[in-house]
Amino acid sequence: MTVTNTFAQNGKASTVKKTFSRQTSISIDIKASPVIIWSLLTNASDYPRWNSTIVSIEGDIEMGKKIKLKSTLDEKRTFKLKIKDFKPEKSMIWGDGKGNRLFTLKENSSGSITFSMDEKIGGLMYPMYAKYIPPFDEAFEQFAADLKKEAELIQNTKN
Amino acid sequence: MTTEQLNQEFEEVRGPLKSYILRITASVADTEDIVQDTYVKALEKLETFRGDSSLKTWLFTIASNLAKNNLKARKRWTENVTDVCREAAMADQQFFKEAMQIRATSPQGDFEIKEHIAFCFTCIAKSLPLEQQICLLLKEVYGFQVKEIAQIVATTEAMIKYYLHTGRAKMLDIFEGRCALINQKGVCHQCTELNGIFNPKQNTQEALMKIEMVKAAKNKDKEHLFDLRMEVMREIDPFESKAAVLQLHHLEQNRKVMEKYLEKKGE
Repeated sequence: MTVTNTFAQNGKASTVKKTFSRQTSISIDIKASPVIIWSLLTNASDYPRWNSTIVSIEGDIEMGKKIKLKSTLDEKRTFKLKIKDFKPEKSMIWGDGKGNRLFTLKENSSGSITFSMDEKIGGLMYPMYAKYIPPFDEAFEQFAADLKKEAELIQNTKN
Repeated sequence: MTTEQLNQEFEEVRGPLKSYILRITASVADTEDIVQDTYVKALEKLETFRGDSSLKTWLFTIASNLAKNNLKARKRWTENVTDVCREAAMADQQFFKEAMQIRATSPQGDFEIKEHIAFCFTCIAKSLPLEQQICLLLKEVYGFQVKEIAQIVATTEAMIKYYLHTGRAKMLDIFEGRCALINQKGVCHQCTELNGIFNPKQNTQEALMKIEMVKAAKNKDKEHLFDLRMEVMREIDPFESKAAVLQLHHLEQNRKVMEKYLEKKGE
């Protein structure tokens, strides 16, 4: 599966709007082991504890599995998503018929990890429902900030 | 490493090892078996022990693996274990009859609130994923370092840190919501309730005020209160304490109740 990666940097989200699609991206450097970041990203039931943008995630975040996600963007709505791609400690894609969210981890020479998240929604019918989809920028920034805070806190656990 | 050295070290570590396994399995019989099997396995594999870790760490590794195998097919307990078991105990006259008999006749039959706090942690920690429970016990109660726990659990130090953090956060959250000793709105009063049954002449409030965690409850620092709860755990050997026989009888009851409850829930 290929999803174009146009990540914004330094914890600031950016959105590119086109007639038939919208793409929001964010990227942030995290000083923690990829093992910790990946564990946080793949433990569904633990999300609400550290991630202020997630109300709940039901199901297992594993290749091919389906999850039910409730976000603070629209708490009444449940998103039924499939885990479409899953490369441990590297990348993962969640999505449905309308769009895909790509998560990637990239190790830097300094030892930190660049976490990136990119969601593209669209299709021929996109102009019909575009106005009903709230902007993602703020939620993306919060997601990335929460992940960074929690992962670095765990990394600094006393030995 | 000679057999004599192993025997000597095993005797030193037997107490903590036994209480650790009990706190994982909640079964006296399984604990006895696992501790014995740990010794047998260590003796068989003594030649392979190269001193990469301390002997204590090596013995805890063997015991942890045996405990994991023992629990492989069993379901984890649920957060509401104290509610489920309270309800079952209240309907079970035989349980209270036996408990009162122990209270009256056993030299280790006193009811102590502090011991029930440790007992309660053991039961609730069984609702954590097993890896989290093991890591939390090894670090907070048995004093192992992250590096040593990584050897025992056979995973990375980063993963151990994740297990420790999430396990601790979950337990903090559960106790904050449930334990009336640290939160006036907490729904569980079982330790004081049982104190009223077993020690009717004792002033419960006075007894509570001897416990650091209860005294510190007003300051609302959840992390500090959890550390004090862990201090209680470290102080108490569930096989040697003043209330050991009474609490082990209670633990056996809870294990049976939870096994039935989980079986029914899974049907």
